[in-house]
Amino acid sequence: MPTRSHIKEAFHAAVPIMLGYVAIGIPCGILCDSIGLGPLQVLIMSVLFYSGAGQFMIPNMWLAGAPIASIIASVSLVNTRQMLYAASFAPRCAAVSKRLSFLFAASVTDESYGVNTARFEEGGWSVDRALWVNIFSNSSWTISNVVGVLVGSAVGIPLSIASFAMTSIFICLLVTQKISIENVVAAVVAMVGVFLCKLAGLTGPAILAGAIAGVVAAMLANRALRAKGGDCA
Amino acid sequence: MSWGDFLIVFVSCAITMLICRVAPLFALKGRSLPEGVERALGYIPPAAFAALVANDLLTPGMFDAGLWPAAAPLVASLAVVLVAWKSKSLLWSAVTGVTAYALLTLI
Repeated sequence: MPTRSHIKEAFHAAVPIMLGYVAIGIPCGILCDSIGLGPLQVLIMSVLFYSGAGQFMIPNMWLAGAPIASIIASVSLVNTRQMLYAASFAPRCAAVSKRLSFLFAASVTDESYGVNTARFEEGGWSVDRALWVNIFSNSSWTISNVVGVLVGSAVGIPLSIASFAMTSIFICLLVTQKISIENVVAAVVAMVGVFLCKLAGLTGPAILAGAIAGVVAAMLANRALRAKGGDCA
Repeated sequence: MSWGDFLIVFVSCAITMLICRVAPLFALKGRSLPEGVERALGYIPPAAFAALVANDLLTPGMFDAGLWPAAAPLVASLAVVLVAWKSKSLLWSAVTGVTAYALLTLI
């Protein structure tokens, strides 16, 4: 099924993610090394857990002396935003086998969600290509993390600068969205929502709560617009 | 962190993560969704990307340590917006962002 050309297309789509993951994966591995995790542990975590935010949070909270239950709860809360991505990919997986759907869904990240969503909207994209984007991205993430553990703190990369690669990718994905009143409402309300969550001290669920607020606001805007359209007609 | 602690944290986080990643897709997959739900799913991308950007760029009290440390990423973001708009390229956006931010923090 996945022909050579599909894999090649997926690789091209995945390159920006892969480079970004090198930039944040190495510092993440270095951080894991600092709490005494070894290459094998980081390898297992990168392949099977595969979460940038999560893999930064675990060593950070551990270093701060947080209890294990609180680490697990915080990391899980931050990752609830994945539910939105899974929901949005459901229609794309309608005619796809359970196995392929599972492998694809299980390996979605913020960045690969963005790239695959953009490709699906352009057309000519498929779930097997999307899975290969995830596989390439995960490989880059895993290798970078293991390299980070092995070099330890021998190299100093300022993380704030390296992680700006990811922020830039999100900005690009946002800017290239179709411009409609509903989409603008969704984006603005989501941003305000995230800020308000953080202001209230709800850093963990900020992304999910902000995004849901954005979707709800866009639905309301859409309803208002259609009501207005109905009056005119 | 010992292997024991590691396994507890890793297995718990990996399980909640897998559920969040997979369950909604299988719950909705293969059903004909009401029009309203389809429309709502379509609003997820702009809302999610905006939320991710805001999460990276905005923090209450971000200007407490002075104007520049918090303004530098915002200025770099403007450069990214321009490049993203023109090129529509993720790669160029990322290169622009990191370069602009690195240069701005040197100032």
